[in-house]
Amino acid sequence: MKMTVDREVTLRMARAAQLRIEPDQVDYMMNSINDILDFCALVGDLDCAGTPDFSWKMKKLPDRRPDIAHDWSDRDEFKSSAPAIDGDFFRVPKINAEE
Amino acid sequence: MAVVSKRPIVIGLEVHIQLNTDTKLFCSCSTDYIGHTPNSNTCPICLAVPGTLPLLNDCAVELGSRMGLGLHGEIQRYSNFHRKNYFYPDLAKAYQITQYGLTISDGGYLDIESEGKPRRVRIHHLHLEEDAGKLVHPTADGRLTGAAYSLVDYNRGGVPLSEIVSEPDMSSPAEARDYVIRLRQLARYLDVSDGEMESGSLRVDANISLTNPDGSLGTRVEIKNMNSLKSLERALEYEISRQNKVLDSGGRIIQETRLWDDAEEVTRSMRNKETASDYRYYPEMDLAPIVITDDQIEAFKRSMPELPWEKRERFEKSFGLAYEEIAILTERKELARYYEDTVEAGAPPARAANWVRMEVLRALNELGQDITDCKVKPSALAELVKKVESKEISSTIGKEVLDVLARENITLEDAIKRTGASVGRITSESLDALIDKILGGNPDVVDTIKSGQDKKGGKLKFLQGLIMKESKGQADPREASETLAKKLEGLC
Ligand SMILES: [Zn+2]
Repeated sequence: MKMTVDREVTLRMARAAQLRIEPDQVDYMMNSINDILDFCALVGDLDCAGTPDFSWKMKKLPDRRPDIAHDWSDRDEFKSSAPAIDGDFFRVPKINAEE
Repeated sequence: MAVVSKRPIVIGLEVHIQLNTDTKLFCSCSTDYIGHTPNSNTCPICLAVPGTLPLLNDCAVELGSRMGLGLHGEIQRYSNFHRKNYFYPDLAKAYQITQYGLTISDGGYLDIESEGKPRRVRIHHLHLEEDAGKLVHPTADGRLTGAAYSLVDYNRGGVPLSEIVSEPDMSSPAEARDYVIRLRQLARYLDVSDGEMESGSLRVDANISLTNPDGSLGTRVEIKNMNSLKSLERALEYEISRQNKVLDSGGRIIQETRLWDDAEEVTRSMRNKETASDYRYYPEMDLAPIVITDDQIEAFKRSMPELPWEKRERFEKSFGLAYEEIAILTERKELARYYEDTVEAGAPPARAANWVRMEVLRALNELGQDITDCKVKPSALAELVKKVESKEISSTIGKEVLDVLARENITLEDAIKRTGASVGRITSESLDALIDKILGGNPDVVDTIKSGQDKKGGKLKFLQGLIMKESKGQADPREASETLAKKLEGLC
């Protein structure tokens, strides 16, 4: 079953997500969402009958961990791949809601 | 301050307490974030890098359970986590992992006293959840609206919290405050949290409504952003008067969230309020459920320390102290320990209570110190109290000695020498002579008193002060003032 969104639904989604989008961005976002929906429809149409369960043998992992701190060494590399940084901070889109 | 409201007030509180763990709830990042470089306490898990999986901190389960037991709650053998979705970048995942429905501790109560009256506040539940990061808004005037973007620091993101949701059992701002005080005391006794409101380790959201004339519950308003006990009380007082005014003028209360503005002392409506359905709660499939066995619950129960109300009862029975004294001494377990050590070192319980409550706390207050920094060892205090008890030194000198001990690491004997007092009380004969000398040296003061002009007693006090000073505090204050009075009478 294929779903599509129109400009109006796209704007509603943006509002629900508290995102401000400029008029010239609406089509781009609508098309992106429709691409995702197309892909979902494609997956939904696959015939999976008779496909065996995907599983593998592994030891049961613990479901809790001890309270011991570890520092993570690759932070700088990770930061360099972030879309936008500002000093030590990550930059994120402006929030329209009051905190 | 008592609040006047013709409509009965109904208050319920949601208190977030930061759990005293070394690491975050689902990753091994340190929880020690205050004053650290932004984003230095982060890792792929708390930064929500795709493909990473959260793993629950065992210690958070234990601390949450301990707090639940302290609240007489029922620890659940099986609970799980949910995702609470919201569009706000203070969490990198765009959802918060929290408990919803099946929580780690269910029910319970907390007994409080407020304005001399006991009250039982029922607890709805206690659940675990992760804290969010902090947004920084880079406009010069600190306002959000002018900024083109926001900055985020994820150091606090993922720090474990326990949220304690009460039933709406409080009926005044004072009760709400006393509930938070009692809850904080419990968390500190249990070593679950430091409970500091100022640093954000303890945060309170309040739900408040005014009861309708037909007895049905009024519309509930949620208040956030109160970061001290005082602002909690002020915000509730403000809200009670605001809601009464709205209703008096025929208006209706809107169900909403309002933010307390500490500077303006008002609550303001918060736009874009999500409701539970907007949060699209659903089970967190990346985490195993929390399964706690009966053996574990038994072990948690065995590891529970003496609770504040148990300590109060024991202090009453063992030391025969008054309620107000016990309340102060057991306010913090460190102070209670200090007091007990003093008694164990030989000080009479009632005297020791007085000294700890009045003098030790005063000295610490003057020095801006905590009881845990106190330089006066309980054994030294016990010796000092005994010396004052046996009148070996006067209480005035005793207080001076205590002040010296509180400031310097010296022995009791050295501190006594330092105050210039030779140990031992002044004899009645020397006191007599001393008073004669003082009266002789201050004829104008004596004249003023004799002619009845010392109406406020200031001159008399001056003479009493001289006696204590000249005797280096070795005169017994009562004996000194009696002798002085007699001598003055004789002169009249
Ligand atoms: Zn982390």
